[in-house]
Amino acid sequence: MGLPTAPMVTIAFKDLALTNAAKRGMPHQRICFTPHPVWGKTDAQMYAYLEGNDPVSGKPLMKEVIDALTKPLTAEESLSGTSTPPVGAPTFIDTSDNLQQYYLDNGMTDFMPIILPTQEKVDAMLKGTSHHPDEVVGKMTPAQGAFPPWSYTVKQCAVNAVMAGATPDYFPTILANASTGISALFSSTNSLVSAAIINGPVRDKLTMNYGIGAMGPFSQPNATIGRAWTLMSKNLDGGGIAGETYMGSQGNIINYNNLIVPENEKDSPWTPFHVQKGFKPEESVVSFFFGFCVTQGQGGKGLGMKPVPHFHEAMSANCAPFASLFGALFLCDPLVANGLGDLGFKTKEQIGDWLQKNTTVTVKDVKTMLFSGLPRGPEAANLTDDMVIPKWPKPDAFNFVVVGGQTNPYHQLGNLSYRLSVSIDKWA
Amino acid sequence: MNRRKLLSLLGMSPVLLTGTSVQAQHTEKKAPVSKNSSQGKLTAVNPKGTPPSIQLIPMAPRLDGLDAKTVYLVDTGFHGSDTLLHQVEAWFARNMPQVTIVFRRKAGPYSEDDPKLWKEIKEKGNAVIMAVGH
Repeated sequence: MGLPTAPMVTIAFKDLALTNAAKRGMPHQRICFTPHPVWGKTDAQMYAYLEGNDPVSGKPLMKEVIDALTKPLTAEESLSGTSTPPVGAPTFIDTSDNLQQYYLDNGMTDFMPIILPTQEKVDAMLKGTSHHPDEVVGKMTPAQGAFPPWSYTVKQCAVNAVMAGATPDYFPTILANASTGISALFSSTNSLVSAAIINGPVRDKLTMNYGIGAMGPFSQPNATIGRAWTLMSKNLDGGGIAGETYMGSQGNIINYNNLIVPENEKDSPWTPFHVQKGFKPEESVVSFFFGFCVTQGQGGKGLGMKPVPHFHEAMSANCAPFASLFGALFLCDPLVANGLGDLGFKTKEQIGDWLQKNTTVTVKDVKTMLFSGLPRGPEAANLTDDMVIPKWPKPDAFNFVVVGGQTNPYHQLGNLSYRLSVSIDKWA
Repeated sequence: MNRRKLLSLLGMSPVLLTGTSVQAQHTEKKAPVSKNSSQGKLTAVNPKGTPPSIQLIPMAPRLDGLDAKTVYLVDTGFHGSDTLLHQVEAWFARNMPQVTIVFRRKAGPYSEDDPKLWKEIKEKGNAVIMAVGH
């Protein structure tokens, strides 16, 4: 705009604000800090903030604001030109123990030991793809719109794949993940979850676990493909720095290696997820989800006391507390999927339609819920508080993936939305 | 529901109720022993991506003072921003009434641009106070 501006930021976001301003070319931006939080404060409490001091400078806050707009610029504040942020030397030479410590101290790990990415191991990883090591795979940012994206090559992805403990045959799947530019550590004050659904022949080729314990720590490809995604989300885009490029208030344990779900296609009565998205059954595909949380689906209305468990009623009851900002991803054991089939839900679309119609909420409740919205358009004018409406306006908010080893008819569910699906074969 | 049935529903063995220990049938794998235990130096590769170069942006010239100037208060939409900025408005009314204050809510989520508002401010305003990062 070319006008003097005073940004006001709460103290909890100091590092993020200063770093982001620098990354956007204004390393000396005059940011004025208020105490934290401002959410939920009264007018009187807010006014007291303004009458108090800036917690960073220790000077009266409103004087800082006025000065930010009126104090003449320094030479540094008037600088133009370009600069390139340093990312360190191309290689590091030291003992194994010292290198482990170096990678840890420099925020390049998930704070667990890594496989050191020696040139030999990186070269071996690169044999897992036909793509040139210098080919640019994509661009990634810790948060769209907030941080400028970084780019990365096949080789840079290979380094992270080695660190995660992956083997070269996993590398095409890891590259497919990277090609989307989706960070598994999206920076929001919400501690978000990322999920990757894997379909097609790659699951058996890599001996991925889609049976007993599929989503637990019981399979090298499941574990390390997910861990590589987290490491790439830290290293390829400068993300995952708590307080700076990651702001999730509590963090999320799933972020260690994310929710990697190979679909149990052979025991599922339904169409595989990637085929729903237009791919052929013989193609290997990874599909991405993103959102608030994952929770166990045991219990719920209709599950326990009937001769034939009413899985659909349990699923509806279990997703009812979710925020409608994101959808509902159901991870169904084959026993659940087949049980739903016995109840007449022969396709994923049929159970999605039922859930959309029957998972309801009152207008009054929607008004008091965070991250949930009322319908828009002409019908919005006729809504009254006691009206019961579908929680999600369209059936496509509900997605279903079959996974598990049939030891008990359970489902897990995530308050997650579908983002996109990409080919793994393309990266072989 | 009795505990035996509950355990069964959870997929656990009712043997857990017996109080007797159950010998695990583990066959432990021995860790491989390195023939060379000396700590030689290794060369490890940097895992970082490539950041974009940064174009330094000179800050806009400051004002001599705010008297008779128009200051826009721009609410980014974070929770509490509007309350804070309305109190900034009240502060100016009480302490610097010679400043004209205009309150505006930026359109869309926080990360979305609002060129229409920027155009208005450039045409009618002299300075901006924008809030807030939570």
